[in-house]
Amino acid sequence: MVRDRFTIYCDRPIPSLDMPNALAYEVADRKQEGRPLYALVCKPEMPTRISVMRVLKGLEVPSVLHMVDWGVAEWPPIDRKCVIVIYHRPMGGRVMDTLASSFKRIPDHQFARMIVKPIADGLVELGLKGVAHRAIRPDNLYFMDEARTKIVLGDCVTAIPAHDQPVVMETIESGSALPTGRGGGNYTDDMYAFGVSILILAVGRNPLQGVPDAEIIKRKIATGSYATLVGDERMPVSLIECLRGLLTDDPEQRWQPTNIDLWLNGKRLTPIQAKAEPQSQRPLRFADMEFHSIRPLSYAMYLNWDKAISIITDGTLEIWIRRGLELNDLADGIAAAIKSSMAMAGGNKSDMEDLIVARVLMLMDPKMPVRHRDFRCFVDGFGQSLAVTMLRKQKIQPHTEFISRDLWRHWIGAQGIKQAAENQQYENLFRDLKNYLKDPNSGAGIERCVYELNEWQPCMSPLIDAQYVMEVKGVLPALDNATKSANTKLWPVDRHVAAFLRARYAKGTGTQIDAMNDSRPDRATIGMLSVLAIVQWRLGPETLYNLAGWCGGLMGPVINSYQNRNKRKEIEKELPKLVRKGNLAELYNFLDNPEERQRDAEGFNWAKTEYASAERMIYDLEHGQVDRQESAIKSGRQMGAAGAFVIMLLTLLITILTKLL
Amino acid sequence: MNKSRVFLYVLIAIPICLMIIPTMIVLGVALIPTGVAFLVERGKGYYAGLTVGCMNLAGTSPYLFDLWFKGHNVQAATGIITNVFAWMMFYGAAMFGWAIYTTTPSLVSTFMTMTSGRRITALRAQQRELVQKWGPDVESVYEPEGGKAHPADHAAAAAGAK
Repeated sequence: MVRDRFTIYCDRPIPSLDMPNALAYEVADRKQEGRPLYALVCKPEMPTRISVMRVLKGLEVPSVLHMVDWGVAEWPPIDRKCVIVIYHRPMGGRVMDTLASSFKRIPDHQFARMIVKPIADGLVELGLKGVAHRAIRPDNLYFMDEARTKIVLGDCVTAIPAHDQPVVMETIESGSALPTGRGGGNYTDDMYAFGVSILILAVGRNPLQGVPDAEIIKRKIATGSYATLVGDERMPVSLIECLRGLLTDDPEQRWQPTNIDLWLNGKRLTPIQAKAEPQSQRPLRFADMEFHSIRPLSYAMYLNWDKAISIITDGTLEIWIRRGLELNDLADGIAAAIKSSMAMAGGNKSDMEDLIVARVLMLMDPKMPVRHRDFRCFVDGFGQSLAVTMLRKQKIQPHTEFISRDLWRHWIGAQGIKQAAENQQYENLFRDLKNYLKDPNSGAGIERCVYELNEWQPCMSPLIDAQYVMEVKGVLPALDNATKSANTKLWPVDRHVAAFLRARYAKGTGTQIDAMNDSRPDRATIGMLSVLAIVQWRLGPETLYNLAGWCGGLMGPVINSYQNRNKRKEIEKELPKLVRKGNLAELYNFLDNPEERQRDAEGFNWAKTEYASAERMIYDLEHGQVDRQESAIKSGRQMGAAGAFVIMLLTLLITILTKLL
Repeated sequence: MNKSRVFLYVLIAIPICLMIIPTMIVLGVALIPTGVAFLVERGKGYYAGLTVGCMNLAGTSPYLFDLWFKGHNVQAATGIITNVFAWMMFYGAAMFGWAIYTTTPSLVSTFMTMTSGRRITALRAQQRELVQKWGPDVESVYEPEGGKAHPADHAAAAAGAK
């Protein structure tokens, strides 16, 4: 049940409307029964685009599938909460079932009106709302009516941007990145995907079906996207201009929705001339191929990573760029990058070589994502990539290296002075991330990085991940619920919870999380309690019976930090009463009462002094045997003399009295 | 002390001695043990002489008072010093004084040992209470200045506190 209104039937799936990262189910709307709706239940291992959902919810954007509502709800089949998006059901189904299937060609004269115009209108509207769709592909286009006349753009929120896009639908740069690392993208990427979609629909099939991804990118680099995609296909003459405009590889020259409008209104636009790349007369031979320009060579070097280092370090590449292409600035940059990488990368030769290749590739083709062996990611896609990797429990080493080896900084440096403000923003962000990564404490580390980079990332703590907690105020109730199944010998504030709170509520919990990292177990434990107590105090809820019980059971070190055994017993007696109240702040105040602490400390110091004093006296008594003997003799003699004197006086007195009386 | 003053003392003492000759005779015989005690124990202070002297004098006092109240003359003094019971009294009292002198140090020593043992027990009990109330962290081992306590002392201290 979503928002107490939409009932999702988990026993009534609609496989034809499934998305790669969300499954479709039938929905009933309590308020408007009979309304044709369907729900997409998002897979938990894929972050969703919550910020886009918040924009699109309830909005009737023309030619975009109407998102009626969304919410986080319990999903019994996997026994956890999931994001569920409710859409208006497209009655005509998908335009193409898959990219591998064929499509009955639409007559040329109807194509622009049926396909191009509505989608372009939809993209304009999305652009006005600041949303990049990033999931435009023929199998994500739907016919809203059963007659299959009204086309709409499908879902774009159930996965991170462009994640589900095949390489063929993406620009050279975006396609070169891993699906998780393509970044947010912008409308130019949408326009490109729109162009490819038009082309596939016009041809009736995917012309590059079955071609490997690397080959597609290679061809696009070599001959341009338009030529690669069109190939030998017969294209409707009326669409050629539009396709050339949309499939231009230079994003600055790529058509915008306004160009489409002009084109639809019959205005002929200036044909776009592709910028020629500098060509060398003398080819460079690499991996059994000859290269005359930088970009194809750069991609070949990426594909043949291990071989690339040899032409970099033996100077072949630098000489070729300097002499063949006469790009002295680039050659100088490469020489400097090699030199500084050799100085930077510690002792591991392989790491050093990887860094050199990555930096050289960045300089050769700065538009491409950061490429570091198998890791390919744009700087703005790094956060989402990290989130997906962590959700899928995959190896995060490439991500930590991305931060720690300053790959981001080298990539920003390679971009030149363009977008200086944005680059400065990244510079600041990644500098912070690097500091978090170096910090081994709770509230930092890679966990902190993932929450800082992803505003809507739910807490990934194994304790509460099934409850999909996106906001700080949801953490405590989730932990309260988790008590039943959690190992209550472990802390409820694990690394993920601490990082989540620190990232989302730094002002409220910073000091407490610092206290939690104290090396002394008692201070750390009370710090952990203080984290939870302050969140409850500020954000509620008023009672957390289970969590209070869980915390109460962990307070051993805090109780034992009181030196006075009687006080410990008193606390142990009182603790269950406070736990039953379910108020963590009260529990914290009771356990960490400053006056009691001071009294305990003073008492302990007094006891130590008393013990030491007694110890000293005992020592003196035990070790004063010889002195005592001498003293006893002296005292004994004195006492003997005094006694004798007294006896003498008494005798004299008695004798005198006897004589006188 | 100048000669004129010594002469003055002698001048006063001679008539007095002549007047108390009978007393002097008795004391001369009776206080022999006191003189011996002063001589024997002279290196260890005057406590022996004092103790024996006091008891010796106490033993002599009945005879001295008899002499003074019943006729202070040489004949009576001779009668006393020839009386075997008087000798027994003089020297018995002196012996008792000697006994006091020799036994009181060991008695005092025994008493002192007993009281310090009780004090140690009390202190250990106090320490035990402190440990029970405040935990073993209050424990410390006393090390006198200028030297460390013997390891056995640590063990004894720890055992005592438990």
